[in-house]
Amino acid sequence: MSAEEKPDKKLKKAAKEESDANFLNVKIYSPFKVYFDGPAKSVSAENDTGPFDILPRHHNFMTLLNAGEITVRKEDGEQKYRISRGVMHVRDNKAAIFLDV
Amino acid sequence: MPSGAKEVSKLNDIEREQNAVGTMVELTSVFEGIASMKIARIKNQVLQATKFFNDLWAIYTQLRVDSLFRFGRGKDDKDIIDKELYIIITAEGGFSGDIDQKLMHWMLKSYKPEKNDILVIGHHGAVLLAQKGISFKKYFKLPEKDQNINPEPIVKYVMQYKNTVVFYQQYISLMVQDIKRIELSTAVANISEKSGDNEEVISEANYIFEPSTYAVVGHLERSMLKIALSQLILDSKLAQYASRFRAMSASHQAADEQLDEVKLRYSRSKRAVKDERLKEIINGLRKTKLATGGS
Repeated sequence: MSAEEKPDKKLKKAAKEESDANFLNVKIYSPFKVYFDGPAKSVSAENDTGPFDILPRHHNFMTLLNAGEITVRKEDGEQKYRISRGVMHVRDNKAAIFLDV
Repeated sequence: MPSGAKEVSKLNDIEREQNAVGTMVELTSVFEGIASMKIARIKNQVLQATKFFNDLWAIYTQLRVDSLFRFGRGKDDKDIIDKELYIIITAEGGFSGDIDQKLMHWMLKSYKPEKNDILVIGHHGAVLLAQKGISFKKYFKLPEKDQNINPEPIVKYVMQYKNTVVFYQQYISLMVQDIKRIELSTAVANISEKSGDNEEVISEANYIFEPSTYAVVGHLERSMLKIALSQLILDSKLAQYASRFRAMSASHQAADEQLDEVKLRYSRSKRAVKDERLKEIINGLRKTKLATGGS
């Protein structure tokens, strides 16, 4: 019985890994408030170079964000946040956005 | 004035006093409640901000593991004032017990005008310094809000000096508050609670930086200075509220005891008035009895 379950578990794990690879974890927070914390398909913002998007499996990245809008695209729609300034740090498929710093 | 009327007038006086003391008990109780509510709120905020700071600090230490903290000045140390800046965080008003005086006394022990400049946060500190005839570089109001404190103008001063020491008040418990002195660069490191297992170094070899590495590092240092200063201001406010709470608790207790004593005096006076009236009635009856032949 357990031998039959094993391939099934492997398949599920592989499917989950593939699904996880399509998302990145995004956390947007300030010293006193967490605005967003969860998986997203992409996150967009603006720095001195111009507007940019962060997609899953993005290269390690650190930038100072300009005033404007951050857009988080999720499976069920998108959310926008107006910011005055911030710092973005991307590593290991995680994007941390520190606001008001 | 007949003795009965005197007793009644005394009774009215005591009643008025009882009402006044009763109001005092209610007032001190309200102030005590407000102070304890503010303490709970600020404690929660300090905890929240610490988590945010730890995350930021972990990134910073990976960036600059082998370098000194440069107060966000980058590599440019040319126009630095060769003095130590003293920042003293005091209360805005005079309702914080004796903790401000203690802090001031302690700071002035090491203060030398040729080596130090003073920057005051809180009106009470500015008044205390003016009374002593000591000049200070700048005075900032203690922020009224407990959230989104903006220490940017203070950081601008900090960046001009070689080094900065902050004198502040620390909350230990509701009944115990302490005064502290800390170098700001150490404060930045201390607030992080040494969170880092900084196994991975962040460098240009494995990261993309925009606009540049130095811009990011300088910005992070200034940000951490701001957060560290905000935390020290919040810590001081917490200690001031606790100090106020302690003063209000003591006043509340004293007012309670006074109320008990006034109530006792009131009851005794009331009893005395009743006794006096009873005596007058008995005496009156006796006189009537004698006048009618004593049957």
